[in-house]
Amino acid sequence: MSICVIEHDELCALVERLIRQWPVMGPRQRKQQPGFYYFDWLRSADELVWDYVTTTLPPKKAFFPPREPFLEFSRPDPAKVRPITDQGPFVLLGVHPCDLAAIEQLDIAYSDNAADGRYLANRARTTAIIGVDCWPDEYCFCTSVGTEQARGPADLFLTPIGRGYLVEVRTPRGQKLLGDTAQLLATDEDEADAAYFRSEKQRRITAQLETTVEQFADILAEGGLTEVWQKVADRCYSCGSCNLVCPTCFCFDINDDINLDLTTGTRIRTWDSCQLPDFALVAGGYNFRRERWERVRHRWHRKFLYLYTQYGQPFCTGCGRCSRACTADINLVEVSNDLIAYAQREKRNV
Amino acid sequence: MSESDPQLSASANVETYQPTIAHITRADELTSTEMLLELQLDDGQVLGHAAGQFVQVSVFGVGEAPISVCSSPTQTGSFELCVRAAGNVTNALHRLEVGDWVGIRGPYGHGFPVEEMVRKDILIVAGGIGLPPLRPLINLVLENREQYGRLIIVYGARLPKELLFKDELDSWADRGDVELYVIVEQPDDDWPGPVGVVTVPLRDIDIEPAQTVVAAAVGPPVMYRFVAFELLGKNIAAENIYFSLERRMKCGVGKCGHCQLNNLYVCVDGPVFCYSDLQGLDEAVEAWAPPTAEAGGERQEPGKGHG
Amino acid sequence: MTTQTKPRVAFFDFACCEGCQLEVLSLEEQLLDMVELVDIVTWREAMSEKSDDYDIAFCEGSITREADIERIKHIRETADILVSLGACATIGCHNALKNQFSMDEVLYIVYGDRAEWFDTIPARPISAVVPVDYQVNGCPASLPEFLTVFKHILMGKEYKPPNQPVCVECKLKDNLCVYDKGLLCLGPVTRCGCDAICTSYGHTCFGCRGLVDEPNLNAAQDVLAKYGLSVEEIVGKFRVYNNWPELSLEESQSDG
Repeated sequence: MSICVIEHDELCALVERLIRQWPVMGPRQRKQQPGFYYFDWLRSADELVWDYVTTTLPPKKAFFPPREPFLEFSRPDPAKVRPITDQGPFVLLGVHPCDLAAIEQLDIAYSDNAADGRYLANRARTTAIIGVDCWPDEYCFCTSVGTEQARGPADLFLTPIGRGYLVEVRTPRGQKLLGDTAQLLATDEDEADAAYFRSEKQRRITAQLETTVEQFADILAEGGLTEVWQKVADRCYSCGSCNLVCPTCFCFDINDDINLDLTTGTRIRTWDSCQLPDFALVAGGYNFRRERWERVRHRWHRKFLYLYTQYGQPFCTGCGRCSRACTADINLVEVSNDLIAYAQREKRNV
Repeated sequence: MSESDPQLSASANVETYQPTIAHITRADELTSTEMLLELQLDDGQVLGHAAGQFVQVSVFGVGEAPISVCSSPTQTGSFELCVRAAGNVTNALHRLEVGDWVGIRGPYGHGFPVEEMVRKDILIVAGGIGLPPLRPLINLVLENREQYGRLIIVYGARLPKELLFKDELDSWADRGDVELYVIVEQPDDDWPGPVGVVTVPLRDIDIEPAQTVVAAAVGPPVMYRFVAFELLGKNIAAENIYFSLERRMKCGVGKCGHCQLNNLYVCVDGPVFCYSDLQGLDEAVEAWAPPTAEAGGERQEPGKGHG
Repeated sequence: MTTQTKPRVAFFDFACCEGCQLEVLSLEEQLLDMVELVDIVTWREAMSEKSDDYDIAFCEGSITREADIERIKHIRETADILVSLGACATIGCHNALKNQFSMDEVLYIVYGDRAEWFDTIPARPISAVVPVDYQVNGCPASLPEFLTVFKHILMGKEYKPPNQPVCVECKLKDNLCVYDKGLLCLGPVTRCGCDAICTSYGHTCFGCRGLVDEPNLNAAQDVLAKYGLSVEEIVGKFRVYNNWPELSLEESQSDG
């Protein structure tokens, strides 16, 4: 791992070169709605916005698409059932620390136990990832879950400084990626610039969990919070938006789509949400998470208790997308703090 | 430069969700809603399942559904699935004939702890469509009968005509070394046996609690609760009771989230669970206390004098 | 369908704009694929031939007159499979707006002093009169769902309209939320299956596919407050398409 400085024009040239070489996904501004961003395949370096605020969907869509046809079939011919593997390598640019942490978490969850080879094959196509540090908005709370400095799978990580970007070259792949890009020696002043950026970013993060993730897991495990869950559920549409915009959610559904010849078709994996009413429905009509509040609770339990216990880190990276996406204004930090306060109040009353 | 990540490539295998092709070698109608399919994997592959495991069965163009393997693990040339017509995939399976093909993934999940059952008395409690996942275990015990103590089978169905594997029930009844209790809720005129739900014969069976291991699969979640209530009342330790649970597994490998039960995945950690591992999990509705008479109102509530 | 004769398909319409059938006609090349699988024997909007011998009936429109009831019952008796096509047929749509008034008043407003020449009953979806096997929601009926239903019928599969709100499809398409543009959207309580077509093209969701099974109307109150909208505004917007369920109780009594 080494450090260097790249000036802005050189970085643009690098991006142009990458776009010529591979499909490149990066953050873009929405044309009709300035100030809102989304990850998309880039046609030119001009489309890329390095200093963006959190996108609608996380960058996982590059290697875990919302709808992914993964198998093709022909009903009369078993020999024609085969995986769809028509996509090649690509590069992912402009990923914030929270989203880098999320990619690392997805890699862990999908490699664990019986590995999801399909996901891993897609991830293996990720030729390189370039991360970039960011400014928070009022929904960001990465400092509460310890991802504000995450670098995860980034090959290069950029921090904006006065004369361009301080570049952390984190892997040999990252070094190769730079190629003949002019790399300036990082001075003490450059490093001080970057350190200032980081401390200023942290200072601007206002949303905060009012306990550690460890204690929060204990509070959830302790239970007895039904009253709070029910209050949240009163406001929840069960629309699934919180899950569908989450960078660490990885549940999915599998369905067949047959063509109009009723003979050939594809099997498709689609992102799913545990908040949707039929998620835990079984044959015969029994629903194992029928009540809205049970589904709300499951979301918190999964992120801050089950997966936390299993992998030693909460499956929440503080990106704030779920709170931004909620039309009913259910804010993950506020609800979590309500739970914490409720648990503390209950404890005092005992 | 290398175009893909070597670490990720190591376990990358696009075929995780690629089924193996199997052909149907026999298709018997067991009841008006259940069909027994015998299948052979292509190229002579062996399924290699343990008692209690399930497979994901594909009818392409319709979809995939998890179904318990219901033949003995020692039967290796082919395997059997008992399919209840309950949804699009299972209905499509009912329309298939000998010679047709399906896709098979698996076997998946944890089966019954067969080793722990050696030298123990084995109590099987089956309700309705719960018999098929227990049948491999019954077959295994019968094939190695001398390794086990008593084999008690309690099997209940709603109607006499809904009883599965009738020939096998007869053959088990004829053996001197199987204690078989079959009961129906709604008898017809020809029904010679007892009337009620599975907990009724269960109540009257004398067992040695410390010596007994229980394997149960009894259909609707509420029935599990009554069965557990009976078994615990007989002083059988929760650690010696195994339930095979039903959820809607989509992936089979602990990823898709559909079968999650608190922190457990039924597809990976189950479908067979030790009752003691379910106790205290508030999403394990099968391990809740049985509903009281006042709360009542559930159709599956067992006979009078209960709860 | 392995039999030699192809299933016979008929299209019918009741009170509607016939736009759903037009939408199906716009399938153009895919219609040719469809007629490989079925024979279309009756379709007033598209052909002059007619037949009273059909297996599958696609019915557009609401039931608004006594005569409609007899006619749909006849179609139901003739067809093995009955499909309600589009919002008028599935949820009553605009036709059911009149249900807020007395039928005499409605007749007078429309026909003035000739009101007594006509009869009318509260508008209702087809499923309120006869059992329906499949439904294609939307105004107009959404083509992807139409094709899905068509394929399900031929494969003998049950089709359940997704019990998920439009938000799901909107998110999967990485659309910016309509609420982020400061507009009111019925997506969070409206059944999806349209591939979020309106919101993807810059509109808001009008609720034409009807409510999800358990819409959270409490949540809607919160959203109203957030965007400074009145209850009347949202109810008004919702009533453009969704009037039938409110009526179902009293109607089921008067229909005997």
